[in-house]
Amino acid sequence: MGFAKYDGQSTPAIGGIAYAFPAGSCTVGELARDNQLASSAETMESFGFDKVHVAVGETPYDLALDAASALLAENEIDPQSIGLLIYGGTPASLALADHAGAPRAAEALCTMSRFNYPSSRLQYELELNNAWSFAIDQLACTTLLGATRIARALCLAEGIDRALCVSSEFFPAKAGREAIFNCTSDAACAVLIERNGTRNRLVSATNVTKGYYWDVENRRDEIVASYFPTARHVLLRTIADAGWEPDDVDWIIPHNVSMRSWEILCGLVRLPRARLFSHNIARHGHTLAGDNYINYRDALEGGCIRPGQKIVMFSYGFGAQWTGIAVEA
Amino acid sequence: MTFSGKVLVTGASGLVGEGVLREMLTAHPELEAFAVVRNELRWQLTARRLGALASRVTPLPGDVTVPGIGLESLARKRVERETSVVIHAAADISFSRPLDQSRFVNTLGSYHVAEVASSCPSLQRFVLVSSAFVAGKATGTILERDNGGEAGWVNSYEQSKYEAECCVRKTSLPWIIVRPSTMVCRGVEGDIQQINAVHRALRIYHRGLAAMIPGDRANSFDVITSGYVVEAIARLAFDDDARGETIHLCSGRGALKLGELVDTAYEVWSEQADWRRRGVERAIITDPETYALFERAVDETGDVRLRAILASLAHFIPQLALPKIFDTSVAERLLGVAAPSASTYWKPMLRRLLQHNWGQTEEVAA
Repeated sequence: MGFAKYDGQSTPAIGGIAYAFPAGSCTVGELARDNQLASSAETMESFGFDKVHVAVGETPYDLALDAASALLAENEIDPQSIGLLIYGGTPASLALADHAGAPRAAEALCTMSRFNYPSSRLQYELELNNAWSFAIDQLACTTLLGATRIARALCLAEGIDRALCVSSEFFPAKAGREAIFNCTSDAACAVLIERNGTRNRLVSATNVTKGYYWDVENRRDEIVASYFPTARHVLLRTIADAGWEPDDVDWIIPHNVSMRSWEILCGLVRLPRARLFSHNIARHGHTLAGDNYINYRDALEGGCIRPGQKIVMFSYGFGAQWTGIAVEA
Repeated sequence: MTFSGKVLVTGASGLVGEGVLREMLTAHPELEAFAVVRNELRWQLTARRLGALASRVTPLPGDVTVPGIGLESLARKRVERETSVVIHAAADISFSRPLDQSRFVNTLGSYHVAEVASSCPSLQRFVLVSSAFVAGKATGTILERDNGGEAGWVNSYEQSKYEAECCVRKTSLPWIIVRPSTMVCRGVEGDIQQINAVHRALRIYHRGLAAMIPGDRANSFDVITSGYVVEAIARLAFDDDARGETIHLCSGRGALKLGELVDTAYEVWSEQADWRRRGVERAIITDPETYALFERAVDETGDVRLRAILASLAHFIPQLALPKIFDTSVAERLLGVAAPSASTYWKPMLRRLLQHNWGQTEEVAA
């Protein structure tokens, strides 16, 4: 499933991106020494990871608020103009707890605190008085790309001018820092979708869910094997639905999983590796849902992406979700 | 060829040996045979399958890996006196053995059989059952002759069989060398007699445990039916014109393309609702470099099961990336017919694999 076909005029666009990292960070070597990795530091380094961001005092909500506030401020957005707020990422019961408080936070599910939703709190604290807010769940690393699709659809269907999508992810103290050979980071990212934006227009999207792979622990081998052919299929379809050929793509904006897997995927799609914006894999690690948009902003700010260029974002989420989005910069 | 005497068959309990024995005994009602038997139990099962034909077969305990093929002295004398045709079909067909072990059975074994054959004064024909894949890493059109070993080999089986050919070519025996392709089923009905590397690889892809295949969609993928192979060997063994010839028993120009074979496999698997529900994506046929990167990534991650899967494929699957077409001119000239096209039996074979749970049922187990 994806966007309705792009008619060349009426597609919403990305109006702004901001992100927030916690103050703390660790090198891959430090994570290994602290038994936070299942694989060796050498293996992780050979896969392109160097450093990850680690929240200690900050809660996922703190990071989400920082990212969303920064986005509104940097782009001088009137909070009253936001008609929709979609939150995703760390589940509600954990989003308001810090690193050490996560185990206790799970107990909130048994109390009225289970209704302390970060989406509502964000709407209040950001003064988004006209925004309908809700959260999405179970899209894992594809959460922000999924939120983008929903926001775009509601902008078109209901005439909402501006939608704010926010994700915040973190790993509690005992969760480790590796997800199947990828080093994970804590971060929040906020994306503004505008119905009448002129730059960074959302041209096409492909979302594939394969429910068979819901059992992540027990279907791990099948998930690893299925990743590449499905990712290739999703990338090629996203490109084709945008009316492009693979050769037309100027940049692939990745989720920050291992460089090796991206080298393989580029080979399978026959896209030159030089067009992969991989700068952030080493310095930020895998922030789960935030990667694509964090990378997109950095690529824009660094001058890599120029107006009119053809961009493809891709992410995979356990559960299992494969998502691609094509953007005309 | 005017024939008198007996046929000596090695590997008579194997797919080719048993099939050739059955064909010869059926076609020549007066014919009698010796079967060199290494495993008595396996031979009893073979004899049961042969039924009444088995009464014309004298089993002789033996082992091709020992000098004189392990025949007891009186049996050896009888073999030398009465044998006029030798069909050497015994082989270790595992692709994953260390080279010295493959050589021990396939090369040294052939030497021992040839040595016994040399001491048979009435010998009229020595048939070495080799393999089309002695061509190893060579690409292009593979001719029916000694093509040398410069290209190297994908696995120890290929190399040891090539060395067996060299060993036989050096003798003054009235040899013919037959080179079957990979036998995937008996005939157009798709019945599977023996599960091999192709079937095992297909199972891995069916289970969604392998993501990609090295090669090109346009590469030929040569397989053949065992029915064609055994019938051809049974005829060629008595054909005077075949002496000194190397003969490909392959699909040749009738081979399907790798892309067609993969597409057909996924088409047949999609007929099952349970399989469709899993959403297994079609494996990608990709360039060898990308496949090697994937192998390296799995190797580096140390995932035991995936590593084992890729290791099992590694002895066979690189052959898919080496485009080759086996020339079958000599076979067609001698047999007067071309081999059946793979398109006639590939789909039925795939359906049989599913029906018989990938060889888990009795009918399929060899």
